[in-house]
Amino acid sequence: MTRQERRKRLAELSFSQKVKILEKLRRRSLAIAASGLRRRSASGVRNADEDSRPA
Amino acid sequence: MKTTLEMINRMQGDGVIGKYAIGGAVGATFYLEPSATVDVDIFAVLPKAGSSSLLSLVPIYEYLKAHGCDADGEHVVIGEWPVQFLPPSDALEREALAEATETEIEGVKTWVMTAEHLVAIAIRTGRPKDHARILQFLEQDAVDTERLNRVLAGHGLIAKWQQFKKKYGADTND
Repeated sequence: MTRQERRKRLAELSFSQKVKILEKLRRRSLAIAASGLRRRSASGVRNADEDSRPA
Repeated sequence: MKTTLEMINRMQGDGVIGKYAIGGAVGATFYLEPSATVDVDIFAVLPKAGSSSLLSLVPIYEYLKAHGCDADGEHVVIGEWPVQFLPPSDALEREALAEATETEIEGVKTWVMTAEHLVAIAIRTGRPKDHARILQFLEQDAVDTERLNRVLAGHGLIAKWQQFKKKYGADTND
């Protein structure tokens, strides 16, 4: 299934089904924010960039 | 969301708010694929307090506090969702409320702004995230172009719409 087809299929779900997905997305972002994963991952990228710089 | 809407309907039944409609990202989800959002925008007619012509959100906050909800900045948390109550600020938002579509979420009756009003409000607001949402509406053929043009013309938004189409090369068959 192409990305376009997947989006169309999601848009065709009932409002109740789409709201369930919104709730899952929201819980997931809150969990990521609470675990600090986002911050760690961003600083990990920065550290990796620094490590890869020539001395 | 079910609990959130049940409480908002109860507020309406108790006369704390008048007619309401879901707008913003949750409103757009009625027409499009779901995309992440942190809050719910509820546009609601507020009854005027006594002889004053000023509108106040205080009765909403007091009512919800008495029903165990907590305020969080400009939101009130109802059930799981932070909700922002927005009294209609101009003729476009008043029309959006008046013409909102009745629907149901998990068996709870509610109202959602029409796709054309959501797009017109997004054109007027004009932030990058609003433009991204308009493009989604157009890509998914989720707006009635004739009706959209009528709404845009009625609220002096044609010039902004032309600018948007020029910027994004949007094809709207108008």
